[in-house]
Amino acid sequence: MGMATVNGLETHYQWMQARDRSRPVPTVVCVHGLGYDSLASFYLTLASPVSSAGIDVLTYDLRGHGRSVRPPTGYRLADFVDDLEALLDELGVHHPVHLVGNSFGGTIAFSFAAKYPDRVASIVSIEAEPATEPWSDKMGRTFRNTIEAMGDDRYLGWVGETFGSHYVRLTKAAATVIRSTTLVEEVALGPLLDADGLAAISCPVLSILGSDGFQSDDLHAVQSSLPDCRTEVIDGQNHSVLVERHPTVRTMLLSWIAEHETARFAFAEDGAA
Amino acid sequence: MIPPKASDTAVFDDICTIVWRVLDVEPGDIEITPDDSLTDDLGLESIDLVTIGAMLIERYGEQVNLAAHLAEMDIDDVIALRIGELADFVTARLADEQLAER
Repeated sequence: MGMATVNGLETHYQWMQARDRSRPVPTVVCVHGLGYDSLASFYLTLASPVSSAGIDVLTYDLRGHGRSVRPPTGYRLADFVDDLEALLDELGVHHPVHLVGNSFGGTIAFSFAAKYPDRVASIVSIEAEPATEPWSDKMGRTFRNTIEAMGDDRYLGWVGETFGSHYVRLTKAAATVIRSTTLVEEVALGPLLDADGLAAISCPVLSILGSDGFQSDDLHAVQSSLPDCRTEVIDGQNHSVLVERHPTVRTMLLSWIAEHETARFAFAEDGAA
Repeated sequence: MIPPKASDTAVFDDICTIVWRVLDVEPGDIEITPDDSLTDDLGLESIDLVTIGAMLIERYGEQVNLAAHLAEMDIDDVIALRIGELADFVTARLADEQLAER
């Protein structure tokens, strides 16, 4: 277990580094979602098999989540973007990385790529979208509904009966994060990306969505808003794409990395990089 | 790294020690049986599994890779994981290593 001081906050991270260092080793940085999510979502699904395929995998807990420190304030999207930059600097990762973002983690990845295009080789977003006005509205509605539901014991009863006691504990953990911080008030403030901001996300993007997930109303909205985006839809899947369909995501991710690393290093070998 | 003990009971004892440390309780304060599920019975969260995985590597070495093991399982099976299953996994990996060394 590693702890790094990032923007003054103790931040938990896990490195799974490829053993074979005889050839260029790509770096994947996994960014998890909000609430009850943590680096565990990646660590227990993708990190080990992706690392075994010859890729360095960095996972970390966002501020306020997992084993990282939970400050009472400081939860604008910009804070999470700054944390990612500071963590990469702290760990000496200065080459372009492949960002894999789940839900809000994907939103962080998009804003990071818009701000630091030279540090991102590609993005794999899982059930995620950039921080636009529609995203902000959707986040606001989701937070309001979640807070309302958490105040109702019948909701926890329904969660327990439907998903099991594990998910009741996760919901309570999310409630603790929400109630003890300004996360709800701050996250959707962004700053949001306008048309120029979206155009600045110049890296290739793979958008993996569940057909019944958070973007079921328009499965190609992300693709049509970005310069270079491909969409893969997993039929019959809700928002929990990463944990419920991780073998499928793993296959897509490894294929994506192989495709783009080959292009990247061929480009460099030509002396054009 | 401490050389691994040989018996299944020793592995079970090691896992109990790790779980007590993760739960931040004194050894024996909470009774642990092989049938206990890590999440429902012992109240561990998924981030605790990350810590347990790191502690198993610290105890036994890289060949006991819990993250790799769990990555091959469905999420429902991970949530339902029992102490006995965890001990069986460790024991099997140690046996694999002993075979490889022969």
